[in-house]
Amino acid sequence: MSKQSNIRNFSIIAHIDHGKSTLADRLIQECGAVSERELGVQMMDTMDIEKERGITIKAQSVRLDYVKDGEHYILNLIDTPGHVDFSYEVSRSLASSDGALLIVDASQGVEAQTIANVYIALENDLELIPVINKIDLPAADPDRVKEEIEHTIGLDCTDALEVSAKSGIGVKELLDAIIKRIPAPEGDKNAPTKAIIYDSWFDNYLGALALVRVYDGQIHKGQEIYVMGTKKKHEVLNLMYPHPLALKKTKQIKTGEVGIVVLGLKNIGDVQVGDTITDNKNKTAHAIKGLEEVKSFVFAGLYPIETDKFEDLRDALDKLKLNDSSISYEPETSVALGFGFRVGFLGLLHMEVVKERLEREFGLDLIATAPTVTYRVEKTGGDILEIQNPSQLPPVNEIEKIMEPYVKATILTPTEFLGNVITLLNTKRAIQEKMDYLSVDRVLLEYSIPMNEIVMDFYDKLKSVTKGYASFDYDQSGYKEGDLVKLDVLVAGEVVDALSIIVPKQNAQSRGRDFVKAMKEIVPRQLFEVAIQASIGNKVIARETVKSMGKNVTAKCYGGDITRKRKLLEKQKAGKKRMKSIGRVQLPQEAFLTVLKLD
Amino acid sequence: MLIYLHIPFCDSKCYYCAFNSYVDKFDLKTKYMQAITKQLQFELSLFKPAKNSIKSLFIGGGTPSTVEAKLYERFFEILKPYLKKSAEITTEANPNSASLQWQQEMMALGVNRISFGVQSFDDKKLKFLGRNHNKKTALQAILNAKKAGFENISMDLIYGTAKDTKMLLLNDLKIVKSLPINHLSAYSLTIEKNTPFFQTPDVANDSLVLAKFFTKEIKNAGFPQYEISNFGSYQSIHNLGYWAQDDYMGVGSGAVGFLKDSRFYPCKNIEKYIQNPQNRQIENLSKEALHVESIFLGLRCKLGVKLANFNQKELEKINILLNSGKLRQLNDRIYNSDYFLSDEITLFITD
Repeated sequence: MSKQSNIRNFSIIAHIDHGKSTLADRLIQECGAVSERELGVQMMDTMDIEKERGITIKAQSVRLDYVKDGEHYILNLIDTPGHVDFSYEVSRSLASSDGALLIVDASQGVEAQTIANVYIALENDLELIPVINKIDLPAADPDRVKEEIEHTIGLDCTDALEVSAKSGIGVKELLDAIIKRIPAPEGDKNAPTKAIIYDSWFDNYLGALALVRVYDGQIHKGQEIYVMGTKKKHEVLNLMYPHPLALKKTKQIKTGEVGIVVLGLKNIGDVQVGDTITDNKNKTAHAIKGLEEVKSFVFAGLYPIETDKFEDLRDALDKLKLNDSSISYEPETSVALGFGFRVGFLGLLHMEVVKERLEREFGLDLIATAPTVTYRVEKTGGDILEIQNPSQLPPVNEIEKIMEPYVKATILTPTEFLGNVITLLNTKRAIQEKMDYLSVDRVLLEYSIPMNEIVMDFYDKLKSVTKGYASFDYDQSGYKEGDLVKLDVLVAGEVVDALSIIVPKQNAQSRGRDFVKAMKEIVPRQLFEVAIQASIGNKVIARETVKSMGKNVTAKCYGGDITRKRKLLEKQKAGKKRMKSIGRVQLPQEAFLTVLKLD
Repeated sequence: MLIYLHIPFCDSKCYYCAFNSYVDKFDLKTKYMQAITKQLQFELSLFKPAKNSIKSLFIGGGTPSTVEAKLYERFFEILKPYLKKSAEITTEANPNSASLQWQQEMMALGVNRISFGVQSFDDKKLKFLGRNHNKKTALQAILNAKKAGFENISMDLIYGTAKDTKMLLLNDLKIVKSLPINHLSAYSLTIEKNTPFFQTPDVANDSLVLAKFFTKEIKNAGFPQYEISNFGSYQSIHNLGYWAQDDYMGVGSGAVGFLKDSRFYPCKNIEKYIQNPQNRQIENLSKEALHVESIFLGLRCKLGVKLANFNQKELEKINILLNSGKLRQLNDRIYNSDYFLSDEITLFITD
C-alpha cells in the first residue's frame, strides 16, 4: 500500500525549550495518530522524570499517516533530546533520518545547541528545513531570527517556515514542506536485508527491542536474521511500528521504513545500537558504518546507604543498563561508604537522572559522591594511571604530573550579559579562543575550559548570570597538564575518602574554606560537636564546627499510650536511616555532594 | 499493677487537645459510667490482681470533674478490695467544674490526690489555648482542694507557646510557689493532627532557651525534677509505674491497658464502647519494641536503665556516652544527664 517514494524519515532538532516536543505532539495530532483528548502533556516524553523535568532524555519515534492530493504518505518522526548531556542520542536519531526540521524560537534566536545539532545534521547530509517557532508570541521577530540563522549557520532561510506549534499556525504548510523537500529514502528493495539498529531498550514483557531503519530489502515476521556485529542469528518474533501510545503490529518492515523488531532476547547487548541486521541466509556484503560509541566522561561513586544492599544495586544497574546503554560501572570500595560502584555518566544531569531512576524504580537509598572527570596521572617511574576517583590519587611524591581533560565550549549570550559571562569563565580557568558578534546584541564565544570546571554546575551558573538567556554546548578536546592537588575532608578527625576532590592548587585554600563552610550548613546537629576540616597532604587548611544538639525530646503528656511515643521515635529513626554513619557522626546524603554547592 | 480510668467528657475542647473527649453526648454519662464497671470486671478477670495489690488508680480524661461523684460509686465499690491500703488515687480536675462539693465527695470515695489542668495563670494565654477557666477560678479550685483536705495537690502547666516570655513563665511560677501544691507537670505544647492548632503551627515556640530556663526555675521553686515534664517534692506512683513498665489496666473509651507484652485499646467511639465495653484492639509488642521503650522511658526520668538490658553493640555506644558525660553510671544502672536529649540518646544507642 505504501510506496517507498512516499516515505519520509525526519528528525526535529532544536535547542532546549524551543518547542520541539510541542511541535512533535502537534504533528502527531495533525496526522490523526492521537485525538485531542489523548494528547496529554508532552506525548513524546514518556518517562516520569522527563515529564517532571520538562526535558527529553530518550529519543522516541512515531509513524504517521498523511494524505495529500490523494497520495498516501508515511511520515516517520524521530524525536531528539534537547539537553547537552544527551547529544549522543541526537546523533543516532539523525543517522537514521533523511531530513531534519531545524526549530528555532522566534524570539530567542539561534542558540549554542542549535549550532551543535546542525553540524551533526550536516555531517549526515540531511536536508534541513528551517522552522521558526512560537511566531505568535509578542516578542517574536522571525526576520531577525532568519538573518541570524543565515549568518551563523549559513543556511538559506528564504523558504523558512513560520509556525506556532502551540496554536497550530503553519503546521499544515510544514507537513507539505516535509513531503516536498525531504527526500524519500533510497535503497534497493530487492537487495539482501540491511538495517541499522538506531535505538534499543528493554521491555519487561517483550524483552530486548531494537528500533531499526531498513536501508535495503525488508524484514518480515518469522525471518531468520543475522546481527553482523555480535555474529548471532535470531528469529523475528514480531514487528511493530513505533507509536507513543499503542505500538501497531505489522508483518514486515519495508525498505526505507523504521520499525521495532521483537526477537525475544533477554540481553540487550545482542541488539547494540549501531549494529547492522541482515538476512541469515542471504547476507548483505557490508555492514553499515557503525555509530560512534557513547563514552561517559563524568564519574561518581554510587553507594547504597545500607551496606547490605550492594547486590541490589548491582542488579538495579544491570537492569537500568538495558534501557540506558550510556552508563558504565565498575565495583569499587570506600573506607567510609563500603562497597559501591564507580559509575560513568554523560554529564551531571544524566547523573542526577540515573540516581533518581535507581532510587525510584528500584527502591534504593543511594549516596552519590562528587562527580569527577578522568585524570591522567604520570608517575615518577613513568607509569600512567587513569583516575576516576580522587581517593586513588597516588602520594604527591610519586606524581610526575597530572593531566586533565579539556572541552571546547560554545556559548551564545546577549551582549548585556557578556561581562557576567566572562567573569564566570575567568573563575573556571577558561581560555578564550573566539569572540564573534552575531548582531548588535548577541555574542558567540568559544572557550577552552578544563572539563572538571563544567561538569559540576557550570550550566546552571551560566543560566543564572544571564537570566537564562545564554546557551551552551561543548565537545571534548583532549588533555592538558594541570597544577592540581587533592583536597581531603576530615569529619570528627577522620579523613572521609568519599569526600576527597581534586582541585587546582591556585584556589585550593579558598575551596577548602568554602567546602567546610558548606558542609557545616548540610550536617545537622548531633549529640556531639562535630569538627569538619579540609586538608591538603597532612596540613589542615580550614575548619568549621557543627555545635552539639540542645534538645530532642517530646515533653508531652501521653499517659499509658507509650506505643504512640515509640512510633514517633521510630519515625525519627527511619529519617536517620537515610543518613550514613561515619564513626559516631551521621552524614546526610547531600553531604557527599557538598562540592556542587560551591561557587 | 496500676489502673487508669478515662472519662471522655469535657465542657469545652482546648485548641491543642487530641485526647478522646466529647463536649456533647452528656446524655450518655450515666450509661458510660455503667459501662466502665462492666469493663472493670472484665479487666479484673483478665489481669487477675491479688487483693490489696493495685498501687495506683488514676482518673484522667477528658475531664473527670464533668461527671458527678456518685456516678463513680459503683466503680470504686468493685475496685476497692484490690487496691492497696496506701494506694495513690488521683483524679484530674478542671478548675471550673471541680466544685468544693465535688472534691469532697470524690475524697469520700477514696480519692487522695487531685491534679488540676491549670496550664497558666495568665488569662490571655488561657484564652489563646482555648481553656474555659481563668486565673481566679484556678486559684479558687486549688484552695478548695486544700479545704476539702487533699494533701497531694498537683497542677499542669503548658510552655512552648507563642505567648510565652520569661516574664510570663516567672509570674506563673510565683503564683505556684504561693499555693499548697507538692507536684507540678510542665508539658511543652505539641501540635497534634486533628486539633485546631494543627492549622496554625506558629502558635508553638520551640525555644530551647526558654524550655531550659523554665525547667531550671521550676526546680528553683522547690519542685525537684523526676522526669522531663514532672516535678515535685511528691513523686507520682502512677507516673513512675508507667515508666518502670508496670502492668496497667486501662478502663474507658480512649484508655490504654498494658499486660506483659500486649497493649489493649478499648473502643474510642463512645456509643460503640457503651454497647460493648469489653471490645478492644490488641497490640502485640515485640521484644525489640519493649526494649526500646524501656530505654526511652528510663532515660526520660530518674529511673534510668539497667545495664544488663543492653546488648554488646549498645554497650559500646553507652561507653561513648558515659565518656562524654551524656550519661552517668551508678551501680548497675545508667542515668541520663540531660533529659532534653533523651530521644536523641535513645536513637544513638539503638541505631
